[in-house]
Amino acid sequence: MYGNLVVRPEDIENWGKKIEEEDPEKLAEFEGRIERGEKIEPQDWMPFEYRRQLIRLIEQHAHSEIIGALPEGTWITRAPTFRRKLALMAKVQDEVGHAQLLYSAAETLGKSREQMINDLLSGKSKYSNVFNYPAKTWADTAIIAWLVDAGAIINQTTNSKGSYGPYVRALERICWEESFHLKYGYDSVVYLATGTPKQRAMLQDALNRWWRPIMHFFGPPDTQSVHTEKLIRWKVKLATNDEMRQQFLDMYVPKIWELGLTIPDPNLRKNPETGRWEYSDPDWGEFWRVINGDGPCNKERLAVRRFAEEKGRWVREALRAPHARYVTPLA
Amino acid sequence: MIEVLEILILSLADDELFIGHRHAEWIGLGPILEEDIAFASIAQDETGHAQAYYQILTDLGLPTPDEYAFKREASAFRSAHLVELPNFEYDYGMALMRHFLYDAAEQVRLDALRKSAYEPLAGLAERLLREEKYHWLHARVWIQRLGRSTEEAHHRLQAALDQLFPYAWMLFEEMPHEEKMIEAGWVPPSAELRMRWLEKISPILMEANLAYSEPKADELQAFQGGRHGIRSPYFDSLYAEMTEVSASDPEAEW
Amino acid sequence: MSSLDPRIRRAEPELWEIPLRSLEPLEHWQTYEVFVMRTRGSQAQHVGSLHAPDAEMALILAKEQFARRSQCVALWVVPTEAILWTNPEEEEIFLPATDKSYREPQGYLHTRERIERFKDRLKPLQSYD
Repeated sequence: MYGNLVVRPEDIENWGKKIEEEDPEKLAEFEGRIERGEKIEPQDWMPFEYRRQLIRLIEQHAHSEIIGALPEGTWITRAPTFRRKLALMAKVQDEVGHAQLLYSAAETLGKSREQMINDLLSGKSKYSNVFNYPAKTWADTAIIAWLVDAGAIINQTTNSKGSYGPYVRALERICWEESFHLKYGYDSVVYLATGTPKQRAMLQDALNRWWRPIMHFFGPPDTQSVHTEKLIRWKVKLATNDEMRQQFLDMYVPKIWELGLTIPDPNLRKNPETGRWEYSDPDWGEFWRVINGDGPCNKERLAVRRFAEEKGRWVREALRAPHARYVTPLA
Repeated sequence: MIEVLEILILSLADDELFIGHRHAEWIGLGPILEEDIAFASIAQDETGHAQAYYQILTDLGLPTPDEYAFKREASAFRSAHLVELPNFEYDYGMALMRHFLYDAAEQVRLDALRKSAYEPLAGLAERLLREEKYHWLHARVWIQRLGRSTEEAHHRLQAALDQLFPYAWMLFEEMPHEEKMIEAGWVPPSAELRMRWLEKISPILMEANLAYSEPKADELQAFQGGRHGIRSPYFDSLYAEMTEVSASDPEAEW
Repeated sequence: MSSLDPRIRRAEPELWEIPLRSLEPLEHWQTYEVFVMRTRGSQAQHVGSLHAPDAEMALILAKEQFARRSQCVALWVVPTEAILWTNPEEEEIFLPATDKSYREPQGYLHTRERIERFKDRLKPLQSYD
């Protein structure tokens, strides 16, 4: 009935367990709880597939935050004013903070932070493709902070209505902090858009380069996306990739056009009859190539994480308590 | 007298600007997530301190903080060379030791400035001390812990201390026209602050089993001049990088 | 191949030569649960957990991760290991099985009615005075 150790090696060993092999009574109780809008907490019984999918999801989200600190980090030492310098430091710091929150949330499901980092470093575990693209100019940081973070907010706000308590709690705080990122990003973009010709050109160039990764951001179209139905029933996934992409276009295309910027897709338009955005095929082949390691920055991103872990090793080693034992955090 | 005041404020502000800049290089690269976040806050605080110091001058009709930080001739900077040093090989022992030596000095300076006869400076010092308490706690506990941990950690900290100590010593280099500042009651003599700084760091270093030796006057040649506008060999590349964007379009607002 | 980030460029060429090494269990230290008291007079609330080598470091690190924006007057940390919990799956142990209204203020809603009834009973007697 009670305890303080949630490490359940059998949970992990049984990852291969199929949904049909689960105890039907417990499964019904579990699904009933989710249907009633109740949250699942770490100590609850849950089907292995739910645990596996959540770990995968939250872990990838955590990796995306820590890797996501790198493209914008590119400009930390070069930010042009005090205000931008401070805000960029704070923003990248937040991304690291989000990784901290998310790794903790994933840990409650029984996978340690060390295991997750190992899977990131070895390439076994993925992170958002968008961070495998380079931030070539200052304007890239503005586009990332505005539009990539806008995408992230749509995604995270949607997920924050999910069923897993620790993930939902982490997301609530993350969304709150992201709203600063969005404002900061928009402000930076507006300064460039309303600035000198050179600034405008720099901004348009950044938008041109980032548009495709941003279209990829919400994932492949629903027709190509696998096993969504069960995840939606379990409230692990709350909206389909296309729904979120449509929401993003609805909210941000008019704002981009308002600034007199050109979106590099001649076919982009809202169909007045269906009320849906239509756009050119953003080359899903590229999306899959980058996910599988062949993007412009994949190698560098992982090399930097390996470097940081390696450089920090002696520090962590020095303070390691000799008798510490691993207990799953409660977050 | 405003020129003398400017020398004083810039000496304080430029140190903060570059230490904040160097600390910020660690964001996303720290030894563990939790420490990455803590150190990023310290970087922000120091950068914010620089801005607040420059603002004192701005309020007197002198340039804005952004102009001071991003649009100045190298020879007009008055930072100590300690804060310009790169993060050599990303050794966190160096980062922590610099943070420790620097924040001890900053505490000592701010404690003295609270009683400054120059009102705006005294008021600002009082506020900045709020953040400084945490910086000092953070630095002190790290040094205490690591100094008495593994052989490697101790070795790294001792090497960092050996390398950084003469630079840190020069945080208290006498400023041009310092006698006028003292006479006005703005600051105590730098040499006196240095003694207080030594009193502050010595017991902690001893506890951490770390040793320093006071540099002799003739050994200091390579480390001095910061307050007089002489820049370290690391300054040019640091400043070119820091101003890369702002200089790319000098007319622009960012 | 060279990074666009000058910070990363300064790590080259070492950056590219780091071997792939696995982190060991507990290399990122043990965990602590963090509690924040937002204002004087309010309860401390659990806000999350973090990794730290000891309790004092946990406090120092918790400050920036859990109190860098929101209002806070005090922080607590507790080793996760020290926390004993009941399982939410057994939440029914918190549900009463019998009527427990006798220990709730709402269990005493009809006192006034009784007084009124009593007064009504007295009325006929009073009219003879």
